[in-house]
Amino acid sequence: MNSFFLRNPSTLWFLMGLGLFTIGVTILSEAGIGFLSTSFIKILGKTLCLCLIAVAMDVVWGYCGILSLGHFAFFGIGGYAVGMWLMYARTEGIVLDSLAAQTIPPTPQEISDAIGNQIFGVVGSSEFPLVWAFADSLFLQLLMVVLVPGLLALVFGWLAFRSRVTGVYLSILTQAMTLALSLYLFQNDSGLRGNNGLSGLQNIPGFETTPQATISLAFFYASALALALGYVLFAWVVSGKMGSVIKAIRDNESRVRFLGYHVESYKLLVFTLTAIIAGIAGALYYPQAGIINPAEIAPIASIYLAVWVAIGGRGRLYGAVIGAAFVSLLSSWFTGGGAPAINLGFYTVNWTDWWLVLLGLSFVAVTLFFPKGIGGLFDYLVRKP
Amino acid sequence: MSTLLEVSGVSVSFDGFRAINNLSIQIGEPELRAIIGPNGAGKTTFMDIITGKTRPDTGRIIWGDQNISLLGMSESQIAMAGIGRKFQKPTVFEDQTVRANLAMALRNPRGPFSVLFDQQTRAGADRIAEIAAEIGLTDSLARTSGALSHGQKQWLEIGMLLAQDPRLLLVDEPAAGMTSQERAHTTDLLKRAAKTRAVVVVEHDMEFVRRLDCKVTVLHEGSVLAEGSLDHVTANQTVIDVYLGR
Repeated sequence: MNSFFLRNPSTLWFLMGLGLFTIGVTILSEAGIGFLSTSFIKILGKTLCLCLIAVAMDVVWGYCGILSLGHFAFFGIGGYAVGMWLMYARTEGIVLDSLAAQTIPPTPQEISDAIGNQIFGVVGSSEFPLVWAFADSLFLQLLMVVLVPGLLALVFGWLAFRSRVTGVYLSILTQAMTLALSLYLFQNDSGLRGNNGLSGLQNIPGFETTPQATISLAFFYASALALALGYVLFAWVVSGKMGSVIKAIRDNESRVRFLGYHVESYKLLVFTLTAIIAGIAGALYYPQAGIINPAEIAPIASIYLAVWVAIGGRGRLYGAVIGAAFVSLLSSWFTGGGAPAINLGFYTVNWTDWWLVLLGLSFVAVTLFFPKGIGGLFDYLVRKP
Repeated sequence: MSTLLEVSGVSVSFDGFRAINNLSIQIGEPELRAIIGPNGAGKTTFMDIITGKTRPDTGRIIWGDQNISLLGMSESQIAMAGIGRKFQKPTVFEDQTVRANLAMALRNPRGPFSVLFDQQTRAGADRIAEIAAEIGLTDSLARTSGALSHGQKQWLEIGMLLAQDPRLLLVDEPAAGMTSQERAHTTDLLKRAAKTRAVVVVEHDMEFVRRLDCKVTVLHEGSVLAEGSLDHVTANQTVIDVYLGR
């Protein structure tokens, strides 16, 4: 393990940076001097989750050459899986409290009906759909966070890679996958509350009396830990011979076949592993966001993900982290009214509208003039032998 | 010398054009064989068929001591069965070091999980050093292979073939774009390799083929036109008409 860090000094630097950042945020948070608000801690925690999925995207695209424009679907599935338990358990608590006042103890059926009414009332139903079968078990729902994205990626990837669908055609297929999923979830009878999505996810059952300041910090730590572990995992995967082979697949797939490697298995492994990590990132993101709805997994989200990685620098894990953090924070600054509008006299540039134009232009500029992205700047700092 | 590869009655057409027409060739082990022929004679298609890139319409391809049919096997399975291929254009992985290129080609388990948990072994490192010495790239092991010269890339690719330890090496125009010194080195490499295994060289350059000093097969319009020593085939009137005379 020591030699792994020696051979990959950037991983060590990254972990140190992340550790310092976490300590710094703790000191500045309300647990410390109170400089950072709870909502800002949540933004930072969410950003760490976005960094984690960006690292996964970098492995699948930057290293293995599969431009997946559907990885946000896996992120969303992770969020839905954990959100179902959060919503169920919290509603169960509320229902039990209100029924406790009754003189006759409620039957299990009555409790179940009352919970169903609370959750599915907005879509005009009270029945529990089949997908909620395990919603009462935190353990099983956490298993879903890993299993559902993993299985979906495995089946989808197996079908696509086996038919040797590559390049832009594969990208279109992944877009279709995430679009189909989002359209399905938009339907009221999908069993996941249609366009209402799942809400109230910031309230963690069992911690009703804990202030949000503490909960947000706990999720911030969990996100930082997940990012650290995910980063080390992927750094290990892309170092050594595995990294060699998947980079070779990116550069010349058929040559790798003639070397005797079964290219499809490698792509499938990378695609599935990154989908699982994306699911975990989503499961940590949405309790901090508080709400998830089908719009979150619209195709555009996955395209943003690719933009982050491209701007940050493909083929280097810290580049993906930089890109995701930089662009998503900048995005919330611009669209959140943080950037002052520019009055040109004849026209006022309103950043909430013009931010997307700016993002698009910077994407084009980075692709044309700095193909290595922001992360490429580090090459000037570290001279290579 | 026993028969290693037997191609019999193979035909393949692309949109009505017969690229390979009832082709039959036998390769022994060990053997060095040169395949020559005019452009469009089907030399590259012949290699595509053997390595599984192109499926023939008819014919049989029998491989090895157990007489296995190569038809229906995937590219990676054929490669693992012991057939290595060097392309016309040097295709090494330019982003990676010479050492990484060779390490990937080494004859080790190819499954994704065994590669994921791969440990660099002493034996592997020794084998890489041995091959690097053979192809004259010992000092370049840590260099990015994209920075190599054209000739060095060709050697690296031959080295990757040797690392695969195949029983049959298919080499497409190894001397293209090389200086005469580099050619001499390449000839030596191929001749040495052919002492223990079968090596099939597709080449345009007659001088290079002469230096290989081996049995020659002339392809024309997808089938064998003549076979024998270089002097024998170059004396053949049909060969002169279709290939040399022009």
